[in-house]
Amino acid sequence: MLKLIQLEMKKYRFAGIIRAAFIANLCMFVLIAAINISSIGAEIPELATFEDILVIIDTLVRATFIIFAGVLLSKLIIDEFKSQSITVLFMYPINRKKLIIAKLLIVITFTFMAIILSVLFLTCAIFLLDQFIDAVPGTLTLEMVIKHGTSFVTGGLAASFMSLIPLYFGLRKQSTVSTLVASIIIVLLVCSNNGGFSLNEIIIVPIILACIGALVAYLAIRNIEHVDLISKSGS
Amino acid sequence: MAYVLRTHQLTKVFDEKDIVTNVSMNIKQGEIYGFLGPNGAGKTTIMKMITNLVKPTSGEIELFGQKLTPTSYNVLGRMGTIIEYPIFYDKLTARENLELHCEYMGYYNKKAIDDALELVKLQNITNKSVKDFSLGMKQRLGIARAITTKPELLILDEPINGLDPIGIKDIRELFKLLSKEYGITMLVSSHILGEIELVADTIGVINHGVLLEEVSMEQIREKNTDYIEFNTNDCNKATYVLSQQLGIENIRVIDQRYIRIYDNSIPMKQITKTLIMNDIDVDSIHQKNSSLEEYFMNLLGGGVVNA
Repeated sequence: MLKLIQLEMKKYRFAGIIRAAFIANLCMFVLIAAINISSIGAEIPELATFEDILVIIDTLVRATFIIFAGVLLSKLIIDEFKSQSITVLFMYPINRKKLIIAKLLIVITFTFMAIILSVLFLTCAIFLLDQFIDAVPGTLTLEMVIKHGTSFVTGGLAASFMSLIPLYFGLRKQSTVSTLVASIIIVLLVCSNNGGFSLNEIIIVPIILACIGALVAYLAIRNIEHVDLISKSGS
Repeated sequence: MAYVLRTHQLTKVFDEKDIVTNVSMNIKQGEIYGFLGPNGAGKTTIMKMITNLVKPTSGEIELFGQKLTPTSYNVLGRMGTIIEYPIFYDKLTARENLELHCEYMGYYNKKAIDDALELVKLQNITNKSVKDFSLGMKQRLGIARAITTKPELLILDEPINGLDPIGIKDIRELFKLLSKEYGITMLVSSHILGEIELVADTIGVINHGVLLEEVSMEQIREKNTDYIEFNTNDCNKATYVLSQQLGIENIRVIDQRYIRIYDNSIPMKQITKTLIMNDIDVDSIHQKNSSLEEYFMNLLGGGVVNA
């Protein structure tokens, strides 16, 4: 399985994807820093404590990487069906289920790791920035870190699984566009924040979505040995 | 004789349309099996069923003596294939594509890649991305990929599509080499009769999903002997003269104007001489090889082949 994952990563030049994740991180940093700096002096109730900054970081990071996962799904799975290169892959003496699982594992692991590392990076970066210009009201306490740390990890895990939901829509139409649209809809659902309230805070919502994601993955794998791979042009 | 591939009453129905109906074909070890039929006859679908990409509605496939099931993965490692048209990971280079192929096939002889590229004459451009390749180059690369791992069975769907005449000749020679030197069994499909005729040992003719005939080239050649055809306005007299004076019995009259003599023992000049001596006008006379084309056109019901 490790070998298969390795081959997939080689096939899609994974270094480029990791670089893109870095760039996304820098953008998020600039955005959050800009919010902080512009809020200096102004009394904004949503930005009263460092905790609020953590919430912004968390939301932004999850939104970014759920969409990122959509891109990965398109590249690794949908495109492979669309361009028929899946027929090449499925003619190898390798269990088809394993081939698909390898791809899904890459998406889940990458999304999860990216979310955790990005939150860490952004928190540290904003914390350092705060040391110099004191843009954020209040300070970061160890208490806060522990309290939010666990919710970051579980939230990240849930996000990684729910990011698989777009696969269902993408596979049905073999379309990268529907995959990405589905990703964006999920982001809108769980990452929007209305006056401090977000669907993600009702704990059952991310859990259900994560379960649906897992179900989608299962459905994609279950029947893979029995499907006919026909091109759209006919026989 | 050992069979590498056999199908029994293979049938595939898509959307209530019969794409392939009761096809039973037999491919012997070491032979080149030419799979001939017009576009849309079901050749690709059969090849997809053999490689497990499409599952038969009914019927069985036997590969290397084992029944093919949806989970028979190991046999796939003994085959090299191009199905429909050669597909690659376009952003990777030719060499990277082949390396990836070897990794997935579990074949670790790095020299094999160079050998295969040399066989299809593609050494110089291996560091270009495949998306910049022409169809002919992709076709060559596809063949290279199929043969890199030295498979026992090669399944090539329309392998000469997009190749120039020299390329076609190269590939034809390559097929013969692979068959003779390496003993690789080949299933090669085409709608171009002339090509199949030159390489195949056995031909399977398919149309509308039905295998019309499976026949060895040897048998076809025997069946279709040369003949002499001449054009005259007095067929009755001509046949009478020929049978009486030259003892030719194997004569066929076509359209009351053409006469065909299926007897190689009598030279053409003697026939002409006899006819003229008997005051029969001969407008034209020539020796003909009843080509395979005619044979297959008859089989396919004439005219429907879009070559």
